Parts: sequence; C-alpha cells; structure tokens
Amino acid sequence: MVLVLALGDLHIPHRAPDLPAKFKSMLVPGKIQHVICTGNLCIKEVHDYLKTLCPDLHITRGEYDDDARYPDTKTLTIGQFKLGICHGHQVIPWGDLDSLAMLQRQLDVDILVTGHSHQFTAYKHEAGVVINPGSATGAFSSITYDVNPSFVLMDIDGLRVVVYVYELIDGEVKVDKIDFKKTTN
Amino acid sequence: MFEEEDVKVISQQECLSKLQELKVEINRSWSADDRVTSLRLSIKVARLLTETSVIQFYPTLFILATDIMDLLGDLVWNRIKRKAEFTEEGGYICSLPDNFKESDICFDAKETCNNWFSKIGSVRELLPRIYLELAILPCWRFLDNHHEDVLQRLVMMTRGIADPLASAYCRLYLVQCAQRLPEHDTGFLITCINDIKLLLLRLTPAREAVDRDLSGTSEVLLTLIEPTIEYIMRCLFKDLREMEINDMLLALGMGINPSILSENCSCVSIILHYVLKELPIGFICCNALEILHLVECAKDSSFLQSLNFKLLGHRLCERVPEVSKVLLVVDKIFQVLSCYDNLDAYLMVADAYLDIILESHLGTSLNVILDGIFERVRDEKIGENELVILQSIFSKIVDHFANIEHILALNHFVDILDMMRGSSRNVISTQILSMAARNSQIRDPTVIEVLLEIAQALYDGLDFSNMRKDDYQHPSHVIARFVYMVDHGTQLESHLRFLAQCRGAFSSISELQEILVHSSNNLAIRAMRDGNSCNFIKSCLAFNEVTIPAIPSNLRQLNLYLETAEVALLGGFISHTDGLIDAAVNCLPNVDPVNGTRSTEDLSLLVSLLCKLCCMLVMVPGSLEHGVTRIPKHILSLIDSQSWILPRMKIRVLSSVVYLSAALSQNQLPYHAVSGQVISNYQLYFDVPSYHQELLSLSGVILQGLVNVVMQESSVAVRGKMALEASNCIASSFVMSDEALEACSKLMEIAKSCLSTGDKFLHSTLKVLYLKK
Amino acid sequence: MSIEIKLSRFNRIYRPDEILEGKLIARLTSAISYQSIRLTVNGAVNLQVRGGSAGVVESLYGVIKPIPIVKKVVDIRSSGKIGSGITEIPFSVILKDPKEENLEKFYETFHGGNISIQYLITVDVVRGYLHKSLSATTEFIVESEKDNLPQKPVAPETVIFYITQDTQKHALLPELKSGGFRVTGKICTQCSLVDPLVGELTVEKSAIPIQSIDIHLLRVESILIGDRISTESTLMQTTQIADGDVCRGLTLPIYIILPRLLTCPTIFAGPFSIEFKVSIVITFLSDQSKKHKKVADPKAPKSWVAMESVPLELVRTM
Repeated sequence: MVLVLALGDLHIPHRAPDLPAKFKSMLVPGKIQHVICTGNLCIKEVHDYLKTLCPDLHITRGEYDDDARYPDTKTLTIGQFKLGICHGHQVIPWGDLDSLAMLQRQLDVDILVTGHSHQFTAYKHEAGVVINPGSATGAFSSITYDVNPSFVLMDIDGLRVVVYVYELIDGEVKVDKIDFKKTTN
Repeated sequence: MFEEEDVKVISQQECLSKLQELKVEINRSWSADDRVTSLRLSIKVARLLTETSVIQFYPTLFILATDIMDLLGDLVWNRIKRKAEFTEEGGYICSLPDNFKESDICFDAKETCNNWFSKIGSVRELLPRIYLELAILPCWRFLDNHHEDVLQRLVMMTRGIADPLASAYCRLYLVQCAQRLPEHDTGFLITCINDIKLLLLRLTPAREAVDRDLSGTSEVLLTLIEPTIEYIMRCLFKDLREMEINDMLLALGMGINPSILSENCSCVSIILHYVLKELPIGFICCNALEILHLVECAKDSSFLQSLNFKLLGHRLCERVPEVSKVLLVVDKIFQVLSCYDNLDAYLMVADAYLDIILESHLGTSLNVILDGIFERVRDEKIGENELVILQSIFSKIVDHFANIEHILALNHFVDILDMMRGSSRNVISTQILSMAARNSQIRDPTVIEVLLEIAQALYDGLDFSNMRKDDYQHPSHVIARFVYMVDHGTQLESHLRFLAQCRGAFSSISELQEILVHSSNNLAIRAMRDGNSCNFIKSCLAFNEVTIPAIPSNLRQLNLYLETAEVALLGGFISHTDGLIDAAVNCLPNVDPVNGTRSTEDLSLLVSLLCKLCCMLVMVPGSLEHGVTRIPKHILSLIDSQSWILPRMKIRVLSSVVYLSAALSQNQLPYHAVSGQVISNYQLYFDVPSYHQELLSLSGVILQGLVNVVMQESSVAVRGKMALEASNCIASSFVMSDEALEACSKLMEIAKSCLSTGDKFLHSTLKVLYLKK
Repeated sequence: MSIEIKLSRFNRIYRPDEILEGKLIARLTSAISYQSIRLTVNGAVNLQVRGGSAGVVESLYGVIKPIPIVKKVVDIRSSGKIGSGITEIPFSVILKDPKEENLEKFYETFHGGNISIQYLITVDVVRGYLHKSLSATTEFIVESEKDNLPQKPVAPETVIFYITQDTQKHALLPELKSGGFRVTGKICTQCSLVDPLVGELTVEKSAIPIQSIDIHLLRVESILIGDRISTESTLMQTTQIADGDVCRGLTLPIYIILPRLLTCPTIFAGPFSIEFKVSIVITFLSDQSKKHKKVADPKAPKSWVAMESVPLELVRTM
C-alpha cells in the first residue's frame, strides 16, 4: 500500500496566506510516500514545507511559479501505475476531457493529475483516470472565486487505486472516496 | 628618525641570517664530533636572547633561538641515549623503553650527562644558562627519577632576570619544555604565574594612579607578554581536575571562597582574563557571583576591566540555565553598567550578559538597559565599533521575542534603531521585518505603521546600483514578504491605500511590485465575494493598470496583465478585460531576452501563457464590430513576425487557436464567466452567420499552415511529436472533411517517418484517427 | 710504531684501594723483541710560588721540591716478542698495597695555580741498548677511598648573611652609602663535591638599581716556605644569579655546579693547604659601573660593588 498526496494551486501568498489549519494538522510527516503537486505554490517556503511532509516530491510549473526548474509535465511510476502531472493552464480548453485525454496519451500514463480549474474532479477515461485535486487553499481561479479548499490522497495497492478527496466546506473537512481499478490487457 | 628605523631593520635581517648560519654550524660541528664548538655556538645563540632593545622583534628572535635550543637538546638527548644503549665500540647494552628509569642507565652515560649539566652550569650569565639547561631538561631523566624540583628551581632562577620581556619569554620556554616531559606537576606553573604577576604589578601602576591607561612602551610590552601568559595559563588548566580549581585559584591569589572574598584579593586583570578564558564552564556558572567579584576587584591597568566583564558574560552565556544566583548576577551587572559613562563599555558589557538578562525574565531589566543605551547614545555619535555591538544586542532582543508587539513596546527600541546606520541598521531592520512576517499575518495598524517606517528606512539604506546582488536581495525579499503578510482584514480600502504607499516607497523592488499586483487582485476578489461595490474593484483594476507597466520584465507584465484580466472578467468589467488583454498581447514582441538569449524556461512559460490566453478567450465576448477573432488574429500575426519564435512553439499556439475556434463553434461552451454581466459569445452571436464563417476561415488558414510549420522543425524527434499533436488537434476539432483528412494524412506520414514504429503516442493517435473516419 | 695506554675506566677515576687496570695497545709495522715491559706509577704534590706574598729570594727559587706520594715500578712482562699489527697487553696494579708503607697520603688529584697533585702511569717497552724504548704515559685521577668518606648526605652547614652599606669594608659611592641597600640570604659553607652549592638570596631593598648579582667561587692555595706561608686566591668561576634590577622581596635561588677539574676536597696538610671561598658580589648600576665594564683586576673592591665572602669546605662523600 502506497499513499500519494496530490495537491496544487495553493497561490501562497498571493491569494491565501497559508494552507488551512485543518489541512495542516492532517498532513503529518512520515505517513505519505510521495507528494505530487500540480503547481502554483507559489513561493519557496511552500516547496520547503511540502518537502518536510515527504522528501519524494514531484512538482510541475504553474504560470505563477518563479522556480523555472519545475518542468511543464512530469511522469513517474508508482507500483503498477504510471502517473503524469501537469498544471493545466496550458491545456485548452481548461478541464476539457478530450484535451486531457490527448495529454494522457501523449504522456502515456494511467493516471493524469492536473490543476488550474481549482475544482476537484476525478474521471475514469478510456484506459485511465484523470484527477484534479482542486486548490489546497481555496484560491480563486480563472473561472470562479467560489472555491472550496481540497486535496487528494491516493492509496495505490496493486492494480487498485482508491482516491480520497478531502474538501473543506464551511470549516469542516469532508472526505469522499472513489475507487478505480486498472484493467490489464 | 627614518634612518634609525632602517638601521634596525637591517640589523634584524642580519640577526636572522646570523641565527640561520649558527644553526647550520652547530649541526655541522656536532656531526664532526666537535661537540665543544656546538655548545659554544649554542651559548652564543642563547646570549642573543638577553638583547631586548627592539622589543617588537623579540618574539621572532625567541622562536628562532629556541628552535636552535631545541636542536641542541635533541642532539644531546640522542647522544646520551645512545651511550646508554650501546658501548663505545658499538656493543649492545639495552634498549631503553619510553618510560625508562634512572637505574636503566649505565655509568658512562650518566657521566656524559653529568658533564653536560656541568658544562652548562659553568656559563656565567643567568639567562643563557637557564635556556641551555631547559634545552637539555629531559636529560634529567637519565640521572634522577624525581626531577620535579628542577622545574621549581628553574622558575625561581628566572626571577633573577629583571627585564620583563626576557623573563616572560624565558618562562614561556620553560613551560614549553616542561610540556615535553612525560610528567610534571603544576606547582611550578603557579609560581610562574605569580612571578609574572609581580612583574606586571611593577609594569603597570594601579588604574586610579594614572590618567591615561599606560605609557606607550609598557602597552607594547604588555601586548608582547600577553601570549606567554595565555600559553602558560592554558598549560596550567590542561590537566587540572575540577576539584583542584579552588586550591589553584587560591594559590593564584584569586580565592573565591566567600570568607576570603571580603579581603583584598590580589589578582592582576590580564592574568584574570586568561583564567576566565580557561576555567571550565561548569565551574564558572556555579560560582558566577564570586567570579564577578574577582573581576570587580582587579583594578590594575594591565587589562580593561570591561573586557573581563565581557569575557565572563560570554562564558556564562554558553550555559545560561546553569548559572547560579541569576538574579544576584543580573543585579550586580546593573550596578557595573550604571558606572560606565561611555557608550562603548556599556554596550560591550550589556551585550555580553544579555542572554542571561533575557532568560532571567525580569520584565523591566531590558527596559533599564535600553534606557541606559539611549541616555549614552544621545550625547555622542555612535562609532563603528559600537554599532557592531549595538547590532548584536538588538539581534539578541529580536531573537528572544516571538511577538513583534512586545519588541516595539520596549523603551526606546525604535528610537535607538533610528540612531543606528549603515549595514548594522539594515541587518537589524531586516531581522525585525522577517521576524514580524515569519508566521502570522500582521494586522495591528500601529505595528504596520512602525514596520513600514522600518522597511522604508531599510529600503533607503539599500543601494541597488552599487551593492552586490546578494547584499540587497535578502532585505528586498524580506520587505516584500512583510508587504504580503500585512492584512487589513475587512478594511479593504485601507489595504489598497497601503499597497499604493508601498508602490511608491519600494519602486526598485520588482518582486514587491509584482506582489502588489497579486494583492490588489486578491482584494478585488474579496470585494466580489462580499458582493461589494464595483467602484472599489475598479480602483483595484486601475491600481494594477498603473503598477504593471513599471515592472521591468515584459514576460511578467504579460502574466500579470492576464491575471488582472481574469479578475476583471470575474467581476464582469469587460472594457477593463479587453484593455488588459490587449496590453498583454502587446507585451509579446517585447519579451525581453536575458543576456542576449531567451531561456527555454521563459519561452515555454510564454507559450503556456498564450495557450492560457486562448482558454480565456472562450469566455471573453468578441465585439460585433471587430468580430470574434480579432485577438487570435493579432496573436498569430505577432507570432509570424517574431523570428525568435521557434516552430515547436508556433505549432502549440496555432493548435490552441484551432481548439479555441472549435470550442467557440460549439453550441454549448465548456465554461462561462461567473459574472452575470458577461454575455457569452454563443449568446452574443446567436444566429449571426458570419460568426461561424469567421471561425472557419481562421482555422482553415491555420490548417493549411500546420504542415509547413511542422516541416520547419529541425529536430526529427520533435518534428514527429509536433506532427502527432497537430493531427490530434485536427482530429478533435474538425469534422473530417477531405481537406482535414489530407492534412492529417500528411502529418501522420511525417510522424511515421520521424518516430519509431513502437511509439505509443503514434499508435494511440492512429487509433483516434481510425475512430474518427 | 707506537704504543698507547688505555685504562679500564672511561673517566679514568680510581680510588687508592682499587686495582688500576688497563691495557697496553701496541700498533707495530714489524715485530719487535723486548727485554721487559715495565710499568711505573708516580704520584706527587708539586708546589710552586709565583710572586705574590712570598719574598723576593723565594720567588727566585720558584719551584719547591715536590712531595712524593707514591712511586711504584712493576715489570708486567719479562723478555719476549710483540708481533706486527695491533697487540693488546693487559695489566693491573694495586695502587695502595696495605702491606706496604706509603710515602704520603693519597690526596685527590688537583690542578691549581701553585699546587698540583698529579698521578701518572707510564709503560716502557725496554728493547736493549741498540733500540730506543717505546713508552707511553697517561694521567689517572685519584679520588678518596670510600671507607673514609662520610655518609651522604652531609648535614648541610649553611650560614645566613646580610649585606648592607654598613657591612662593606671598602669605600662605596656616596649615593649608595646614603640611599642604602639590604640583601640577605643563606648559603652552604660545607658542600659535597658531587652536589651543587645551594643557597638563596633576597634583595630586600636598594635605592640604586642593581645591575647584576654574581656568586664568585674562589680557590685559596697556601704553601709553607720556611716559616712563611705564601697564599694566593684565584677566581675559578662566576655565576650570575640576578641580571638587572630584580624585584624586591623575591627569593632567588643560588645553585652552582662545582667545576669538576678545578675542585678537590679541602686539604690542610703540613706544607700546603687547599681551601675554597664563596663571594656574593652585588654590582649596582651607576655611571661608574657603566664606564668600567671590563676591569683589569676583578678582585679589587670597587665603589659600586658590595660583597660578602664566606669560606667553603668541600668534602668528598659517598
């Protein structure tokens, strides 16, 4: 069993001073094996904070990230799954499933994690899964300012991945669970 | 005057080369079995040490001469040892272990040894005789198992040398030689130090007796003697057990027993200094008050008393929690401080004890110190040295508190900070700001005001054109962080005013100017969430429209224009949105090369921003007058005219415009602006035939150009990928007309020729195309 | 063609009741025959008077007849042959045969100015009238026999001294006389030859700065000539114990290793005596002392110098 934290679009400090305290208290070092961050952190302190949660940290670049070392896209393999990360502001139209599917094909991944829309979504598509963890701080997006903070934990176990989504609604953390299975062919 | 100096220099040079020659000669005559000459020359070397007229030269002379003494010592030692191990004919007697005893030595070897002591004993002059005996000191082991009294005698003999410099260095050599013995007690060291003490007392009159501290020569003498004291003291403490320290201090006239305290203690401040340096920290902490008293007692002029107070303070601060009777110690220090009229000593001592004072949690004590500093600062200009100490004090204070309000509430804290200058002040200002902005947002208006002043002063102290980047980067960053940690809560107008203030105050920090734009956008969004007045939102937008053009990087301008345009769109301010998008697009030709080239990262960000802009345009209503494709067309023409835009970048922009056209052609747009003020293109152009025509013609033009652009790419692998991207774009955007099919098949040919047959993206694309047909 | 005597002891020191051993080393280019090899031991006190307190007549005579101590002739080989190359012939002789009557007491070897006590051993290879004898002579050193020696340590006999402007017999500089000084201390008056001469000294006060304090070791040789005694004292060694104007009230050690070849046990014999003396000499810093850095006669009292002399008895101990 491997736990992967996926989050993004924090926009610290431009749109939020910090992660919600309730999230911070849930995220403790040592529990998570991988962190993937879709981008727009935006300052180095956030990077350092994520690094304390888990040293295995993978980040792609959002348009407000100054750190030019973050790549546009990134892939990694966890267990039986190949994961792709991309911020998503450059995927046109934003959040469009066809466009994301093309990116998924291009990166040749089972799970594609993107951000930018600041809305949690998780779809099963063709042979893979497309996940958007939303904005971890509830920052306003290009499309809306009505955003609930959210992030995603993926529990990858064999051919199965369980996606837990944590969303802060009116000061309370709500958890949802979505199950995906990889079909081998 | 100058001539005299020259003569001295030459004679020193001569002296050095003479010593060098003598050393060679001693070695040479020894190996020629002419040991009498070796000894005679060694005596000559030792005699040079009586010459102290050029005092600054003496340490050098000492090092060279004792080097030769050591050489002689080794030669004699080895000779006697050989005599003890082998007969004259080379027969084997024994092999001496390291810890040999006198009884292991044969008669002949002892006779030789006696002869050496006898020969050296016949030297008339005291100083050379002592040096020579010290040189062969280890040889006593051949004669006697108990030679402890030899050291004691030699220390006593050294008393006969009246010259302070010569006698101090003679003691130094004595202690150096003693260190080489396998064992020795510390009694002679005590005598040594006590004798030096008498010497110093002769050299330095009591502090009250003279106006100036010391005459020039005595001062130079003291600085030359000081290292010998330091060395001897270190040796004394080296093997000392903590149990013995009390006895040792007593023997040195520094008893700390309370019953002796009241009597006049007789310690000399320079010796006390090195005792303080060597005393184990645990002992110092246990006896803090008693040792403070010792320092207070040492009133002679050999060393500044304030420096001893300082040293003790620093030592105590090594382990603050172990300091005994903290309150009494602090009390005492306040007494001492109150006696210092001059700023330097006051600061130095206050700084040394500050950690203790801070830890003692005496609420008022820090204020007393700050009052004291303020009183003394008022009258005189702060010197460079004092600035450094002041910096240390303020740094400790800032470190100590977790809360900026507590610091600002301290007496005269801000006043004294205002009197500081230069880098010291910058360092402290930076520290205060970063401490204040470290964890939580800054909400108190008065605190914000004070910190803004501090930040402004810090900013004014930075010289962006002449300082190294490293020197101003950190302070700039700290100021920027302070600005974004300020939060006026619901007072959005106040916050916008604050941002405007910062824009004027920190115009050279571009990082900060960018933050101002983000902050103002965030303010606008907060206002929207609260359903607030559109005038305020317009003010925010206007603020950004003024701020962004001043930012030096065009790429960043483009980015910030887009963010602001998004915010304007969210708020439904279409005219602002249009203006901001135009401004963003106009940045494109000017995206500045850094050092002549544009970095790949910058170019890739630029392309992604153009893609993002296309995504935005889905929501931005076109105009009936200029059509819906005005902006995409403008982008395309700019792209075409810029030679530095690479084919691989161009293909992505072209694809994006195709996707945009496709999205706009649909009856249902993928997303809408949230504001009810914004009418969607679908609604705007409902039943306008030219709308679809316009989109079709634009994408048609692009479709024809795609293959050419792909062909322009020089890298084969990239070309293949570009062809696949373009095919995917066509497949998902167009109804598969003949025209589209033709373009697709051309692109797939290119892809096949460029990529390996196993390429997964190639296969998945083929699959998609097959499904489309 | 040479012969050489090599004594058994490296330091060549023997006591009268010990056997003097050694070997004769012959280095020959061709073999020689000899009639005998003869060993001669000779010891005597040699006396001479140079000027000084003796009268004009005596000084003309100069050398006084030596006092013999021992004279011994032994044949170590009767006639034989020594081959070419290196040949070693051991020998041994009893210095003081208890069966024999001795001429004089075996005094310790001493080389003074007027008195010299010397022991020589000579070996002659006698080769008949046609050939010149081969011979070699070497000195050996005699120290008193152990039986007669006091057990070490000797009870230290020390004397306490104090030196002030009032204890001086000679004229002092006026400023020295008026300013005053006081130097005290103690010093051994009986001392074993193998031990250092020890004592201590303290400058209690001195108005005039001190230039140097030295300890003079003197030898006093006396010879009886007729009914007069000729005495001469010689400075043997000077040891500085203070260089410059030392701290008042600090105890300075006196530590003097006795010069081996210049000393012997104090002797009071009939015709001669050998005695020793220690002087504590304090030189004050004055314009005069600076001018007279090198003085012709070190023994003559000077006005910028204060001194105190004490007799020193040297003894041989175990």
